[in-house]
Order: sequence, then structure tokens, then C-alpha cells
Amino acid sequence: MNRRLFLQTLRWERTRLLFVVLAGVGWGILMPVIYSQFSDALRSLANSGALPEELLNFGSGSLFTLPGTVTLGLQHPMALALLGIFAVGAASTAVAGERTRGTLEVLLARPIGRVALYASILVALLLIIAIVLTAILAGMVAGTALVGIGPQLDTGRVPLVALNGFGLWAAFTSFALAASVTFDRPGPAMGISLAWLLIHYFLEILGSLWTDAAWIQEYSLLHHFNPTEILTGVPDPIDLVVVFAAAIVPILYALYVFPQRDLAAPA
Amino acid sequence: MEGTPSPVVISAHALTKHYGSVQALTDLTLDVRQGEIFGFLGPNGSGKSTMIRTLLGFLHATRGRATVLGLDAETQSVEIRRRIGYLPGGIALYDSLTGEQALDYLADLQGREPHRRAELCERLELPAAVLKRRVRDYSRGMRQKIGVVQALQHDPELAILDEPTEGLDPLMQQAFYRILDDLRNEGRTVFFSSHILSEVERLCDRVAIIRAGRLMALHDVADLLARRRRRVMLRWRGAAPDPSTLPGLVDVQVDGDRIVGSLTGDISAFVRSIASPSLDDLTIEPASLEEAFLEYYATDEVSS
Repeated sequence: MNRRLFLQTLRWERTRLLFVVLAGVGWGILMPVIYSQFSDALRSLANSGALPEELLNFGSGSLFTLPGTVTLGLQHPMALALLGIFAVGAASTAVAGERTRGTLEVLLARPIGRVALYASILVALLLIIAIVLTAILAGMVAGTALVGIGPQLDTGRVPLVALNGFGLWAAFTSFALAASVTFDRPGPAMGISLAWLLIHYFLEILGSLWTDAAWIQEYSLLHHFNPTEILTGVPDPIDLVVVFAAAIVPILYALYVFPQRDLAAPA
Repeated sequence: MEGTPSPVVISAHALTKHYGSVQALTDLTLDVRQGEIFGFLGPNGSGKSTMIRTLLGFLHATRGRATVLGLDAETQSVEIRRRIGYLPGGIALYDSLTGEQALDYLADLQGREPHRRAELCERLELPAAVLKRRVRDYSRGMRQKIGVVQALQHDPELAILDEPTEGLDPLMQQAFYRILDDLRNEGRTVFFSSHILSEVERLCDRVAIIRAGRLMALHDVADLLARRRRRVMLRWRGAAPDPSTLPGLVDVQVDGDRIVGSLTGDISAFVRSIASPSLDDLTIEPASLEEAFLEYYATDEVSS
């Protein structure tokens, strides 16, 4: 890993990171507020039978409990957008973008091996993902305190939620970065990375809405990040294994493929 | 280059690079010696950049082997890049950085102090005020100057420059040529690609010509220039002498009192032969390197 390249990668992203962190904290605060304001009403609605409960759930989350709300907040498209900016956007363009611009050639003219270059970018992006995830969770903890429902949240289990969430987003980040070292242009790299994220999202949401197809959720990485189970004291260790394995496989692929690739002159 | 030959800095042996059915380089063999400026000439798409990128480890050779500074280009490219300076063709820089930040960043990544930066910036007319501007505001020529500085600021043993004068105005080209002269005088080696023969003539000790990925010729520039023909025009008072009595003069055309032809071989014998009070005017124009090459290729094609 190259320290200067690592720091510069963070520097390229600092302004965007600042705004995303602020948005993440805001989003995190909003979730407990929504729970405290609408949970009872939604519960009544579900009990009345006016709406099937599946429609009031969102993936593995719901607004019926605070842990369910935390899950909903972390699976919501807003969270996906906040984290996807880096896990998909920044990661998929990190190498392919440099290649298209021609700056990869200038970088690799220095005494930096491709593995070191890849590792520097990967570690910087994973750090950014950890910061954004922490911001969202910190916002949620702050939000529960703000609306006076702090005791409903077992904050001692939040680090495990963070670890599981980090594993999930590390998987999407490493996939996008693997795509970035594979393609010459950022367009295809971003397209396939976004598709990968949306496929998992689609499987998770479809399985939650259509009970007969609930089994397909097992194939979604998002399903293996279930803060409700963690916060209620029944975490499934397999979830951690699955998300971290999904992160490691693209890393191994990239470490093999990137040094083997020919880097012809940019078009 | 008398006496012990200088150490070989770049060596390519039967270097071959294929992209599928496209043969970008075919059995390219050459050596570049320490302390020389070596020109690598060829038209666009001839394989110049492919050769350079293979030397730097960006491309993996299909066959053959290359070493740079005694290190294997395939397996020791990081160590090679620690000791060289490289200017890519049409260099791209980070638009959001200032010129100074870009140079600092690249020097940091190089891991060596940019000892020569101040001198290079002065010679290439890059004052501090310009370096404080963002790269996105630079003209092409300014970017090229920054590219030259980033390649040489850490005083590398070997500079590999891909079309280095592209975008430089004539004055800056001259300044750049003087920088390369100084590098040579300090014992540094320069390998540069170009398609401009006049700059190769001005700078290079040796030149390789590449066409369609194949090495067509490898010459000592001084030899090539010494062997070239010169255009000669003589005018006499009265009748011109029999041209066959003038040694080395070929392709002769006699037009009254004028003789026009091409001079080959020893110039002194020719000058002695024309010494006469009847000689009214004499013009001897050296053929450019371009003409020398055309002549070389014409001969080559005829003989083949």
C-alpha cells in the first residue's frame, strides 16, 4: 500500500464525503423521529387489516419496532444512495476513470506496483464507507436520544450492526473496484456495479413483498445485513461470513487480474 | 564513442507484442547505451508507444525480453520506475490540482526529492505564478512543460520521453533541446520517441526507425549524416569542365555554365578538384536527415 496515494484518494473525496456524512447523520436522526411519530399509527393500520403487513414492511425492516426502523433506515434507497456514492460511484471509476483520463499512466510511471495502487484505493474507499456508515448509525443513536426512546435501543450491539453493515458495503465496494480494474472505461464498470447492487436490492424487496418468493431473499447480500436480529440479540453469524466472503472474492479476483492486464495507451 | 563501450541501459531482445491478430511489435532487438540520446522514430501507430509501455511494465511482452538499467522489464518494473523519469505522450494531469500541487504529488509518489524542479521551471519559463494556477486552466503547451518537469525533476538516470516536444512552441523546443544536451553531458541517458526528423538530427546520438512494429534501421546519426549526399551547385566563368572529372559528383545536370549534382564521399577531394580561377559560384547544401533517410530507404528498396 502507498501512503501518499491513500491520502490523496481521501483528499479527492473529502468534499463529497463531508456532504454525505452530514446527510447521513440527518438521515440517521430522522429514522427514530419517524418511528416515534408514526409507529403506533402504522401498527393500528396493520392490525385493522386495511393494509397487508407486507406492504408496511420494507425489506427486512419495518416501522413497528425501533430495531426494525434501524434496519429500514439502512436498507432504504436513501441509505443505498449515500453509501452507493462511494461503494459504486467512486469505486467503479477509481481505476477505470484514471485510465480514461490518462492519469493512471502518470501514476504508474512512479515506483508503485499495481497491487499497491489497488490496495491504497481499496483501503481509502473502505475507510470512507466506514465513516459514512458510522455517521448514519451515530445519527440514529442521536435521534433515539433526541426523541426520548434511547432505552429501546441496545447501543452495546450497535458496533456489531456497524461491522455487519461494513461487511455488506465492503462487498459492494470491492465488486465495483474489481470492475474498475477490469474495464478500460468507467461506464461499463459503473454499469455492472450498479446492476450488481440493484439485483441484490430487487431480490430483497421482492422477497419481502411476495411471501411465496421469500426464499429469494437468501440470495441477496442485503438480506445478510439484518440489524433487527442483531439489536434484538439473535444475530446470525452466517450473515457476517456471507458478507465478508462476498467482499473477499472480488478482492482476490482484482489482485489476480489487475497485475496481469495490459494497459495500452488510453484512447 | 571510442574505447570501452558504455554500459547498456535499455536492452530489448526479440521483443514481440501481439494483441490478438494485431502485431504491435515484432522481434524488436536494440540496445541503448549509457549517456546517449537515443531517438526512436516512426509514424503514428508504428509501435513506438507499445515499445515504451513494454519497457515500463504497462504491457506484457508476448515474446522476447527487455531490460532497463539491468532490471527485467516484466518482473522488476517497480524498481525500474524508481530510477527513471517518464513523460507519456499527450500527458494527462489532475485538472483540479495546481501545477505545483501536481508536481509535489508526483514527486512524493516518486519518493525522491525534486532537486531539478527549480532549474527546469526556470528554463521552461514556468514561473511561480503559473504554477499556482490550476492545471485545468493550462494550455496544451503548459501541460507539456509540466509533463517535462515531472519526468525530470527527480534527476533520473534514464529519461523515457514519448513525443516530448508535442505542443511546445519553437522557443520552448530549443530550451528543451538544451536541457537534453545538458543531461547527456552529465552522463544521463535519454530515450525518446518522435516523428520529427529534424529534432532527432539536432539531438540524437543514435536513432532507430520502427515501422509496423518492426525495426527497420538502427543508425549512428553522425555516420548517417556523414554518409549523406550533399546538393552541389557550381557556376563557372566560361564553359563548365567535364563533370566526370569531379570526384564524388553524381546525378549531374549541366546547364550552360552551371553544374548541379549530388556529392557523395570525401568532400576534400571534390573541393581540391574544383579549385580554379574560373569558378564563379559554389553552393553546397547538406541534405537533411530526412533526405538521408529517404535515400537510405530508396537504396534499401532497390537492393531488396
